[in-house]
Amino acid sequence: MRVWVRVGIVLVLCLTLGGLFVHAEMTEDKRSPYPDAADLSTGYESYVGQQLMVFGTVTETGDSEMEINVESDGAAITLRVTGTKTAVEPGGVVQVYGTVEPGGTIAAERVEVVNSSRWAEFYKYGASAVGALGFLLLFFRYWRIDRETWTLEARDG
Amino acid sequence: MADLLTHLLVPYMLLTAASWRVDWVDQRWVVVGMGGAAIPDLVKVGIVVDRRIVEALLGVPFTYMPLSTLGGVLLLAGIIAVAFERRHWRPVFGLVTFGGLTSLLLDGMRVYADGRASAWLYPFTNWRPPTPSLYVSSDPTVLVVALLTAGTVAVLDRRMRARN
Repeated sequence: MRVWVRVGIVLVLCLTLGGLFVHAEMTEDKRSPYPDAADLSTGYESYVGQQLMVFGTVTETGDSEMEINVESDGAAITLRVTGTKTAVEPGGVVQVYGTVEPGGTIAAERVEVVNSSRWAEFYKYGASAVGALGFLLLFFRYWRIDRETWTLEARDG
Repeated sequence: MADLLTHLLVPYMLLTAASWRVDWVDQRWVVVGMGGAAIPDLVKVGIVVDRRIVEALLGVPFTYMPLSTLGGVLLLAGIIAVAFERRHWRPVFGLVTFGGLTSLLLDGMRVYADGRASAWLYPFTNWRPPTPSLYVSSDPTVLVVALLTAGTVAVLDRRMRARN
């Protein structure tokens, strides 16, 4: 198949994907009913009594509460999460589902630890890097780029 | 999401097992399917180029989120298929989509505090499917189980091929 036909197909598919990148952001509220850090930092009081789910980095831990830093789109807000006894260190990441209460407080219904400490994050990216490298080595063991047709071809024909 | 290595190992296991029954599926096709499993992880490109930078450059709202959805997987499977010879388009598209779906399903089973996974069926629906909340992304148990199972499949595969 001629190269320009393939380039044309790729262009159409890329433009469609680009359209999705824009459409998804414009319709984000339809999939995420909860306020984010930007919403909370501009009009916190208007969300009091509403359900909320946020991802946050733990900055302080106490007996049955913790303090988390929530960021989104360059906005950041510190929230106190009450009603939780979760084993997590400062620097770890948690998901919190609960109710917005006055004074920057979330009454937690459920708290899930995403990364129990900073090391958990390193582990995740380390395993992913090993995966990426291993895959590339494996892929080019079986496939090669044909520089005449600019297509991927099996090494054994 | 689960780490990339786990994502790659799942289609490896399933497609290797399929290759025992389906003649045309051999190791080079298994590798193509594994590539599809990496598509949803491309959403992490946001760590390198923040979406707000793209937004400022283009002047329109922008998110990488569709990369880890069914729509993103189908479109990228099409783009990847076209990179191959014409006669390979159909199997490449099918296998890459299959790999991408295994990753989306695996991610759809991880923990969400409100009990619902992300809207990974976008753009076909905005519905967030319920999640069984089986694991969190940084849980090493997931990778250990995947490595042990993949190792077992690799040993079985070697025996099957030696027998043939």
